[in-house]
Amino acid sequence: MRRGSIVRMVVYGVLAGTVASLVAVAVPWLPTSASEQMDRIVFTFWFTTVICIGIFAIVAAIIVYCVLKFRAAPDDERDGPPVHGHTGLEIAWTAVPAVLVTAISIVSAIVLAQNEDAGDNPLRVNVTAAQFAWSFEYPAENGEGGLRSGELVLPVGRTVRLRLNANDVIHSFWVPEFGQKSDAVPGIDTHLVITPTRIGSYSVVCTELCGLGHSTMRAPVAVVSEEDYDAFIARLASNGGGSGEETGEGIFASAGCGSCHSFEPAGTDSQVGPALDDLAGAAENAGLSLEDYVREGIVDPDARIAEGFQAGVMPKTYETTLTDEQLDRLVQYLVEGQS
Amino acid sequence: MTELQHTHHDLAHGHHGPPPPRTGLRRLTGPGYLRALWLTLLFGAIGFGIVVFFRWLGGWDPILHWDVLATVAFMTTAPVGFLAGLGAFDYWIYYISGRPTRPEDHSGHGAYSWRDYFRVNTDHKVIGVQYLVTVFFFFVLGGLAAMLFRAELAQPDLQFVDGQAYNGLISMHAALMIFLFIIPAFAGLANFAVPLMLGATDMAFPRLNALSFWLLPIAGLMLVASFLAPGGAFASGWTAYPPLSTEAPMGQIFFNMGVQWAGASSIMTALNFLVTIITMRAPGMTFWRMPLLVWANFTTSLLVVIATPFIAASQFFILFDRIMHTNFFTVAEGGYVLGYQHIFWFYSHPAVYIMMLPGFGIISEVIAVFSRKPVFGYRLMALSLMAILVLGFSVWAHHMFVAGMADWLRVPMMVTSMIIAVPTGVKVFSWLATMWEGRLRFGTPMLFALGFLSMFVLGGLSGIFLASVPIDIHASDTYFVVAHIHYVLFGGSVFTIFAGIYYWFPKMTGRMYSEGLGKLHFWLTFIGFNGTFFPMHWVGLQGMPRRVADYAAEFGNWNLVMTVFSFLLGISTVVFFYNMIVSWARGPAAGSNPWRALTLEWQVSSPPPVFNFDEIPQVVGGPYEYGVPGARHAVLHAAAATEAREEEVVR
Repeated sequence: MRRGSIVRMVVYGVLAGTVASLVAVAVPWLPTSASEQMDRIVFTFWFTTVICIGIFAIVAAIIVYCVLKFRAAPDDERDGPPVHGHTGLEIAWTAVPAVLVTAISIVSAIVLAQNEDAGDNPLRVNVTAAQFAWSFEYPAENGEGGLRSGELVLPVGRTVRLRLNANDVIHSFWVPEFGQKSDAVPGIDTHLVITPTRIGSYSVVCTELCGLGHSTMRAPVAVVSEEDYDAFIARLASNGGGSGEETGEGIFASAGCGSCHSFEPAGTDSQVGPALDDLAGAAENAGLSLEDYVREGIVDPDARIAEGFQAGVMPKTYETTLTDEQLDRLVQYLVEGQS
Repeated sequence: MTELQHTHHDLAHGHHGPPPPRTGLRRLTGPGYLRALWLTLLFGAIGFGIVVFFRWLGGWDPILHWDVLATVAFMTTAPVGFLAGLGAFDYWIYYISGRPTRPEDHSGHGAYSWRDYFRVNTDHKVIGVQYLVTVFFFFVLGGLAAMLFRAELAQPDLQFVDGQAYNGLISMHAALMIFLFIIPAFAGLANFAVPLMLGATDMAFPRLNALSFWLLPIAGLMLVASFLAPGGAFASGWTAYPPLSTEAPMGQIFFNMGVQWAGASSIMTALNFLVTIITMRAPGMTFWRMPLLVWANFTTSLLVVIATPFIAASQFFILFDRIMHTNFFTVAEGGYVLGYQHIFWFYSHPAVYIMMLPGFGIISEVIAVFSRKPVFGYRLMALSLMAILVLGFSVWAHHMFVAGMADWLRVPMMVTSMIIAVPTGVKVFSWLATMWEGRLRFGTPMLFALGFLSMFVLGGLSGIFLASVPIDIHASDTYFVVAHIHYVLFGGSVFTIFAGIYYWFPKMTGRMYSEGLGKLHFWLTFIGFNGTFFPMHWVGLQGMPRRVADYAAEFGNWNLVMTVFSFLLGISTVVFFYNMIVSWARGPAAGSNPWRALTLEWQVSSPPPVFNFDEIPQVVGGPYEYGVPGARHAVLHAAAATEAREEEVVR
């Protein structure tokens, strides 16, 4: 190979590498990290990207060089030089990629081990997934469990270990800014470790196809200061937090109603399901009392479908998961909150 | 030339030619569509009767259980009746029943009019074309499904379809493209090319070959028919994870059973390839003289026969849980839902190599021929196929890094997944080295080969990210995965299918396609493909999960871009079909060897004579000896060969 062609190859390689690097830098590839685990994932991502850009630049340079340099003239019927192989080259392009992927494997394995380490005293939160809502159970201040909410609230800087389970089909828990993801599987417990680093609001996204309402299966996430977290737990405890003694407001929160429905007294504003602030007209159209209408909507959600929404999305399990008393209190809370 | 060969074979094999037309009652009882019609109905009724009788006998309620009836009558016995009616079993029935075997009349061999393509035909070349036309029919359906859901995804919120229809469309798109397009498209190309390349007159088991083709339209129609099932099409993705799939409406059964038919088709074809390649190589065709396409189909067939029974099992488990009340995946009864994923991916990961290795073979042929150079490192190319075959069975759990499986399994599976990049890299670098200092010609097959090379490298690199467990935990089940699989299956497999179609089109039809339209097709596909799938990488990493009908508003603009480019991709296939159809009908004659290739299929007429070779050729050297003075791959006629040698001496 003449020196001129080596120079041209290097120029093409640098060009291809530059273009790839520009794409890598110009596009916001990853969400802004909000957890220590995501920080490490971002590091692994860029470590891998640098190696991959190098490989891409080499391959692109050779392809471009071949296309430009070795194009045969239309009337050129000759064959190329009969080169059958080169043992040294073949060993090189077996060994070098092997070393590179081994390096990526080692970095990945170390990062994985760090990302799985929950430390000595993590906050333990149980996550339950059901078609198509999330429910979170927090430990009370006295150390006993059982405070439920449809919202995931986490104190900043404290490592939390989530224990996930599913009631019906497989779901998957993902907060893009936290990086961590795990399926919630019926019949087995799975775990996730997250150390939030940034105060703010995020969203749990279900990433495993779970049925009709899969794309609506979201839950709000808030990362708050330690004090705000304590206040949140105190508020959960004061309205009963899923203990069976909770208020209507508490049930509305623990059953996850606010993940899909906007309701002013509860301060929720999701648009996945119909708004619950003004149901009197709909009840009248249905020929039911407001109370019966609300009750029917909870225990048999597909009986009547509000315009612009589809059947089969709201869970049909509330009749069994809520006690009669809880159901009464929830209906009362909704009826009293009508605007 | 062709005329001469016909005479020759008339002597060797007795009569062959179009079967005599049938008249009267023979039209009802002889093989054909009339008999297929009434036998389908009869066999369907028998299946129906069996179910109803036994349910009545057992006192089970309801007697008309539609899940069971659909499984037995509609999707098991009726298709068998159809095959019997068409004549797929005729010869075997004669043989089994002890009647004197009919003399070999070869009336079901070779095509003399377009009608012969709709019959049970035992000619591997006809079967190859039957496969290709069939799979492109399902390619269109799968592509239309994709354009429908891309239209839905152009804007956030729901516009055209609801959740059930959307999930049905994505599941149908994947199932058709995988089971009815990519896998059988390679089976079709190999069916045509492999026996010719080996110097064989046909496949080892021509009747089995015909049967395995005819299972395919049955499988495809079964999948598509699920749109008519109560509750809609199967909608739990092509992965069909339980418990979602065990609880899904009846359409799911169509997927469970459709996969069985397609899988049986693949297994039969693979066995046929293995026996053909092992036993029917022409004299002198040692394993180290086989073209790499043959090597690729040899390894692919090994993958198919080992792996495909696993997906059959996984779908039977789902079906049994539904209609026989077994509890493989019923949690309340001690079922284990992750068991499905292990069995499913033990097939479905090797399946990505089933969908890629034959493409590697095509690319090796095209790049060597269009660069006028021997394949660089031929033996390492063959060995890397074998390495992928072995490693391919040790990486399945990388699809399950977030599934909740045993923690210890992740790092070993990550390492094997990373290592499998090494033999793949060997192939890419060897192709590049093959082009180096060659005399490159950029015909359409070469353009698709280069498109494949660049896109497959991108798909391979995004695969490295997904093999890394911590990155995969973030990227799993997002659009990044969708981007990755389309870079390897579309940018990879589909580009190689197009390369193969353009490469062998002159051999199959005897006519040349339009280079101009071929190039237009390539560039539209290349641009449409990248515009559709490249943005998916960052859209996914930023937070858009896969398989959603509705998504966060922030992803709206990029989704609109993807939809626009996906429609360009749709338009590109119109150019392709126009080119294929018009060129097949009216293209200029191609001649026997338009690419001046050395492999055996190019040494006979286009299209090849019914029995491929006048005399079985003698193979005397490697298949890619471009530029080697005096080197030959094979000698076709002993006399001609001597003559050619004498001429050379005189000169």
